[in-house]
Amino acid sequence: MSAPGQPAGPSRTPVYALVGNPNCGKSTLFNALTGLKQKVGNYPGVTVEKKIGTAYSQHGLPLTVIDLPGTYSLAARSPDEAVTRDVLLGRRADTPQPDRILCIVDATNLERNLYLVHQILDLGRPVILVLNMMDLAARSGMEVRVGRLEHALGIPVIACEAVNGKGLIELKLAMSRPDLPLSRHAWDIPAAIAPAVTELQASLAAGEGKSPLIARAEALLLLTDQDSVRVAGSTPLNARTTEILRSWQERWAGQEIDWAGILVGSRYDAIGVLAANAVQAGPPAGRTTSDKIDAVVTHPVWGWLILIAVMTLIFLSIFTLAEYPMDWIGAQIAALTRGVKDVMPAGDLRDLVTDGAIAGVGTIVTFLPQILILFFFIGLLENTGYMARAAFIMDRLMSRVGLNGKAFIPLLSSYACAIPGIMATRTIEDPKDRLTTILVAPLMSCSARLPVYLLMIAALVPGDRVPLPTKVGLMLLMYALGTFGAFGFAWLFKRTLLKGAPPLMIMELPPYRLPGLKDVVLHMIQRAGLFLKRAGTVILGISIILWFLTTYPKGPGGVVSIDHSFAGAAGHAIEPLIKPIGFDWRIGIGLISSFAAREVFVSSTAVVFSVQNFNADDAHADLTPLREALRNAHWPDGRALFTPLVCLSLMIYYVFAMQCMSTIAVVRRETNSWKWPIFQTLYMTGTAWVLSFIVYQAGRGLGF
Amino acid sequence: MPTAHLEPFRPQRMTLTELPIGATGRVFALAGETNVCARLRELGFCESAVIEKISGQKTLLCQLCGTRIALSDRTASHIVVELVRGG
Repeated sequence: MSAPGQPAGPSRTPVYALVGNPNCGKSTLFNALTGLKQKVGNYPGVTVEKKIGTAYSQHGLPLTVIDLPGTYSLAARSPDEAVTRDVLLGRRADTPQPDRILCIVDATNLERNLYLVHQILDLGRPVILVLNMMDLAARSGMEVRVGRLEHALGIPVIACEAVNGKGLIELKLAMSRPDLPLSRHAWDIPAAIAPAVTELQASLAAGEGKSPLIARAEALLLLTDQDSVRVAGSTPLNARTTEILRSWQERWAGQEIDWAGILVGSRYDAIGVLAANAVQAGPPAGRTTSDKIDAVVTHPVWGWLILIAVMTLIFLSIFTLAEYPMDWIGAQIAALTRGVKDVMPAGDLRDLVTDGAIAGVGTIVTFLPQILILFFFIGLLENTGYMARAAFIMDRLMSRVGLNGKAFIPLLSSYACAIPGIMATRTIEDPKDRLTTILVAPLMSCSARLPVYLLMIAALVPGDRVPLPTKVGLMLLMYALGTFGAFGFAWLFKRTLLKGAPPLMIMELPPYRLPGLKDVVLHMIQRAGLFLKRAGTVILGISIILWFLTTYPKGPGGVVSIDHSFAGAAGHAIEPLIKPIGFDWRIGIGLISSFAAREVFVSSTAVVFSVQNFNADDAHADLTPLREALRNAHWPDGRALFTPLVCLSLMIYYVFAMQCMSTIAVVRRETNSWKWPIFQTLYMTGTAWVLSFIVYQAGRGLGF
Repeated sequence: MPTAHLEPFRPQRMTLTELPIGATGRVFALAGETNVCARLRELGFCESAVIEKISGQKTLLCQLCGTRIALSDRTASHIVVELVRGG
């Protein structure tokens, strides 16, 4: 059967799907096959990364390769795995059903990896089996007999070392074959469930027009798939099939026999026979290098010390290394703005270009170095295998507040920026765990809050130079507030709103490897590209809207005056709301404008308090004139506006408040609803207000 | 004849969480929530699979078929093992 709307002729580019367990070297193989000819996007409606590349056959003809998310089984447990299942079953209209399937397995771990292969063979598509990591298998003394496996399965089996590029030519030759054989795959479905399989198969074939083999494979899956994950964009089951499935499940529930377990067991039996025939195990393995490293890295004491050291290194790199490119980019943006101002005649259009578009793009691009460094390290940690260990160590701590160990990476990334953090929650299988992580991730102090903290600390402390201990102490306090806040809310949500059983975590710790620099860099570029696309468009849009709101309507005589603008009006409008926490309408304008990105607070404050010649894009911009302006700002009754107490209140407000449109937009995408981003904005900003209120009013009461 | 010889050899059964660190057990059964058991089976925790417990209390680390696997104690409590050696 060809996918609907796709002519099955020699003229069409054949579509290969690349499937395999996590950590079997699938991405490396995909990169090796397609080089840089890759397109990274999203499956519409779900937040699963879609990677499609082009490889070339031996005759130079293009072959489309889809890199499907790694999975242990077609019985999906997470959105990623559901996409893999649905693409293979032809349930997604946005992706052609693959003509052929490349199954990649870790040769050192053949038996466990063959489980997925066994399910895939059921699909009745031509399959090529790629045995990756043959070098590691040989080193551990295992002998994998490729010929026997090929003979037993009746499909091409290619021995390969994707990291070293070995076996790629043989693989491409196999992929170029016009006539790939179908597998001789046959296994006995336990007799008791055969009638159920037949009935479901008939319903799927009749109702949804599936080919008999695909329908059979899907029927088998439906029976093992207890609470199957449904994802947006996939065709749901029809009512009749659902009804048949439900009635069989009810019947079995009455018999108290675990048919799903029996099905899995019978697959493993078949695999056991296959593996016994094809694999000659080596001498009993002693402690491998990985085991020796793990003895230290997962040690209760040393493990923590190493983790802390690694995290410190990453943080220092993000904040120190990124400074140089960020300054440079800031200078370029400033130069560009000056250039445009010189060339274009003064007027609204020029201001739109410089203060709206260029400022917006500048904000995004300035963040890029930090994001790139962050993604580089995350890629490096994933590539070497350390990331799984970090998640393992953190799991003990995270499970106390009901979070999954896998939430560690998203939360860590959120210190740089919540957007990549939220995008990284996709690996968390449990939807409630994932949602909790998304809800608390923006509480981690992101780097856009830094300029706000720095300005407030400068305004808070009298004297020209802020003593280092004060600066560091206050800064640490803000980071600690956000972090404990995040854990506190996670604990609260897991007990109330997203009540669920304690997290069930099962995670494979892959053997340590030397990192493949090409894979790490490619990963970094792709992720950064996604970030730019996701956050960039929003930030640019918001910057232009904010420019409009701060420019129009103009003041008397057609002069731009923020006081008279929509933003000024909005600032005045929210003043009653923010007065109890010590803010006036001018700070209100700063709050509103910083929805584009929190750091915009600094530049808009400079505008509001009419600081001349202040260039917020220049990282070495002297804060002194701005600080002086803030110090001279007063309430109408003559009281100073920025008292130390107000500065503290404002910092606390920024720790908790959801002051970021891009994050809201990303949460909306990742949760596929407006409900959660709205809830998140309310709870975060509500907490911010309440805490600032308590601090401000208590401070006032104590006479500060 | 000592009575001990008359008793058939019965290996000790316990959940994986109770298996002492450093000991090796053979999976005897999976018990508890069906979908958790199905997932464990798919990952290779089948009856008769041999597991070595490496470390951990709340989050366990074990070795299965040459692979390191971390699992939370709630997951591990679904796995009933028979003590093979160690402990």
